[in-house]
Amino acid sequence: MKPAAAALAVFLALAAASTPMHAEPARALDDYGQLTNPALQARFEHITGQLRCLVCQNESIADSNVELASDLRRQVREMLLAGQSDDAIFKFMTDRYGEFVRFNPPLEAKTLLIWGAPFAMLLLGVFIVYRIVRQRSRLPLDDEPAPGSM
Amino acid sequence: MWKFLLPMGAFVALAVLFAFGLNPNRDIHALPSPLIGKTAPLFHLTDVMDPARTVSNAALKGQVYVLNVWGTWCVACRQEHEALLDIARQNVLPIVGLDYMDQREKAQQWLTQLGNPYTAVGFDTDGRTAIDWGVYGAPETFLVDGEGRVIYKFISPMTPEVWQHDFLPRIQAARRSGA
Repeated sequence: MKPAAAALAVFLALAAASTPMHAEPARALDDYGQLTNPALQARFEHITGQLRCLVCQNESIADSNVELASDLRRQVREMLLAGQSDDAIFKFMTDRYGEFVRFNPPLEAKTLLIWGAPFAMLLLGVFIVYRIVRQRSRLPLDDEPAPGSM
Repeated sequence: MWKFLLPMGAFVALAVLFAFGLNPNRDIHALPSPLIGKTAPLFHLTDVMDPARTVSNAALKGQVYVLNVWGTWCVACRQEHEALLDIARQNVLPIVGLDYMDQREKAQQWLTQLGNPYTAVGFDTDGRTAIDWGVYGAPETFLVDGEGRVIYKFISPMTPEVWQHDFLPRIQAARRSGA
């Protein structure tokens, strides 16, 4: 009991001591509310959900807590309020951060490979299965146990 | 023939993929910049050291210069600081700083204590200049030619070797081409 209590005390002391080290001077994230126009808010959520946060890379800027994501959300919000189209906002982002910023890149010549590869793989698989099946169906039916053997 | 060539081809394809994908020297966070070859975005910011002064890259038209993005919160920036001071001493070109996501007092203290390699440092209060340049971390170092085009971007702490191999030849080429 006693060593456990001591260990707990040490743990708590360490935890308390280490907390200030993580306490960076944080700026309040997104100190504004939702957009008053529900249509704009819906577009805001759609666009920010489609843009990659380049710091965390597997999170969208809608989900991420890092400051860059916050800055980009503010950018999207301002562009929406300025009456810009979704395409204009996506173009703004890809002009600066590259195609990688989009989770859902548009189908065009340079993205043909990533969109086409799954279908190419599927076709290849179908072709391989077809060949195997055809080959096997041509084999003589000689795998029945010969009479007398077990 | 196919029995041999198909697995062989598959093996070679996988080997090439792995050689690229598992290369320990590849920085998976370093993304190619779409800015390369394009006109560098203009900025007008206040100077970190003197808020009354304006720092703008418009004034650098006709010169090859470097834009170095940093912040006092960035450990790797501390790491590259000696290299930047060293490069500044060689007096090859103007090094403009972009202080990103930072606090002015901290940045001033940093430059006073560690030395200031920059000809001027713009204070990017709200990260808008950083967005224009496609910055997503620090340090990032851009090279801009005399016609105001971004010709190179380096993501990682600057070292004398990187400067020697990646920057100097490009600077010389940019100057030779009359830019």
